[in-house]
Amino acid sequence: MTQPFLSIRNLRKAFGAITAVHDVTLDIPKGEFLTFLGPSGSGKSTTLYAIAGFQDPSSGDVELEGRSLLAVPSHRRNIGMVFQRYTLFPHLTVAENVAFPLRVRRRPEAEVKKKVADMLALVRLESFAQRLPGALSGGQQQRVALARALAYDPPILLMDEPLSALDKKLREEIQGEIRRIHRETGVTILYVTHDQEEALHLSDRIALFRDGRIEQTGSGEDLYLRPATDFVAGFIGNSNFLAAEHLDTKDGTATIRLADGSVVSGVRANGTFGKGQKTRLMIRPEAFGMVRRPASAELNVEIVDVAFYGERRRIVARTAGGEGVDIRPTSAAMQLQDLTPCSRQVFFDPTAAFLFPA
Amino acid sequence: MPAGLNGLLPALVLIVLFFVVPVLALLLRSVTEPEPGLQNYAALLGDGTYARVFFNTFLVASVVTIVTVLVAFPVAWMLAIMPSALASIVFGVIILSMWTNLLTRTYAWMVLLQRTGVINRTLMAAGIIDQPLPLINNLTGVTIGMVYIMLPFMILPLVGTLRAIDPMTLRAAALCGASPFQAFRRILLPLSLPGVAAGGLMVFVMSLGYFVTPALLGGTSNMMLAEMIAQMIQSLLNWGLGSAAAFILLVVTMALYALQLRLVGARRISGGA
Repeated sequence: MTQPFLSIRNLRKAFGAITAVHDVTLDIPKGEFLTFLGPSGSGKSTTLYAIAGFQDPSSGDVELEGRSLLAVPSHRRNIGMVFQRYTLFPHLTVAENVAFPLRVRRRPEAEVKKKVADMLALVRLESFAQRLPGALSGGQQQRVALARALAYDPPILLMDEPLSALDKKLREEIQGEIRRIHRETGVTILYVTHDQEEALHLSDRIALFRDGRIEQTGSGEDLYLRPATDFVAGFIGNSNFLAAEHLDTKDGTATIRLADGSVVSGVRANGTFGKGQKTRLMIRPEAFGMVRRPASAELNVEIVDVAFYGERRRIVARTAGGEGVDIRPTSAAMQLQDLTPCSRQVFFDPTAAFLFPA
Repeated sequence: MPAGLNGLLPALVLIVLFFVVPVLALLLRSVTEPEPGLQNYAALLGDGTYARVFFNTFLVASVVTIVTVLVAFPVAWMLAIMPSALASIVFGVIILSMWTNLLTRTYAWMVLLQRTGVINRTLMAAGIIDQPLPLINNLTGVTIGMVYIMLPFMILPLVGTLRAIDPMTLRAAALCGASPFQAFRRILLPLSLPGVAAGGLMVFVMSLGYFVTPALLGGTSNMMLAEMIAQMIQSLLNWGLGSAAAFILLVVTMALYALQLRLVGARRISGGA
């Protein structure tokens, strides 16, 4: 890769004694859909605001095609943005809202008309052109906001939790729209959310934020299947953590002893561990099976409760040492007699289990 | 009478007794004194001297309203975006000035504005002017004194309107490419118009009938309607003419109020939805 399209360099932002963003460095290629994912207060919105120009970073730089954006005021950055709250101009119609960025740029009227029509077609709201924002639903308002943000063909589109105020069904519908619009326009999108499902569904790449730093950057699959830290493993998807004693590591696979004394070999080690070091073993709930397979390891548990969740069942279990275990096998893989509370063995593939420092 | 209106009866009696009856008495006097007929109105509307007073009244009220809006807007905006603890202190100062006696405040302006007043002396001492500026007994003096008194009536409704505007809307406008001036002109100003209209009308109507400040800070050449009415009734004892002038003022005020209701009511201000 030669010169990155958008480049965030050692970004740091402090508010008085509180540092919201510690040291964020990230290169974003043109056309990528990158999501900043993280719990609230992890610095993802602050980073986005620095790109938008709403907050000056304490140090570091934001470069677009090699040129620093920091000295450029918001209104000259030519960046599109959709906000968490509804920010349509309430006194202007839908069409006037979409036309606004073109009007302030003094584009010819014919071009404005055509672009507004194109944009409303893109978000499929042609018939709402003459309505006022107050007469639109939340989902429609955010689609108009999207049309307004894209009307001037910005190289970058920022989206700050744009769907968090919508209900689940509408959210999924608009996620589909956003994916389609990203495909059709090829615009580079930086998307902020605290919803991991949304991040996994939408993004090419996810930057997972924690306490003002990026914990891991990668595709959704990377983060889910190859978490770099226990925080990533815990944040993306559901995870079980079991206390384990590290015995030995060879070629990145470790042998460990669980609390009940059983020895498991072939788990993936994240980091280097000494002999006898206390560690934690992470196993995804859906990595457990109810039948033994050739390479599987076993775990003795007491099944406390079983619930039916459609395609999966959710089993609440406990180890002899009292550690809770969440098990979610597919419903088809289980027989009815498996469901009664009892003590039994469950099985997991050690290569889907990760060892982290305690 | 429908049963539901029984509770309203005392209020209704009060309004009729203290508002409707006096206004009707006023109207009656204006067409019966000194003899039945419309001669009082004909005199007021036909005479050049009276017409000048009417014109001057509207001129002063208009100038005061415009200046008040111009001064109040930045103050209201500052109050709207200020941290609320600080804003309530500034509000306290503004309200306190409203509670201070009107005459005291007007005399204070006389001290400041007169030929040998603080302002002129300071400017002359600083060498900025050679001759004292004519700041009193003219339109300038009336405007300064009245704007000062009217400011809270403009600021308070305006702050309410400005606070209802989501600051994110202005950030969105900036990212859309609007310069600070464009964002003000195309977004903030239209959205704050209901507050400007409400405050502006209040100030205009209050200014139309204002007496103390124009009487003390104004000159004889720009007399306002309230002064004229006082003169007609107190000095000339011409109750008929005074009542007619007062009634004209009332009709004009009500017409303005109706106009504002139409304008603001018809505007598209669905911002709260």
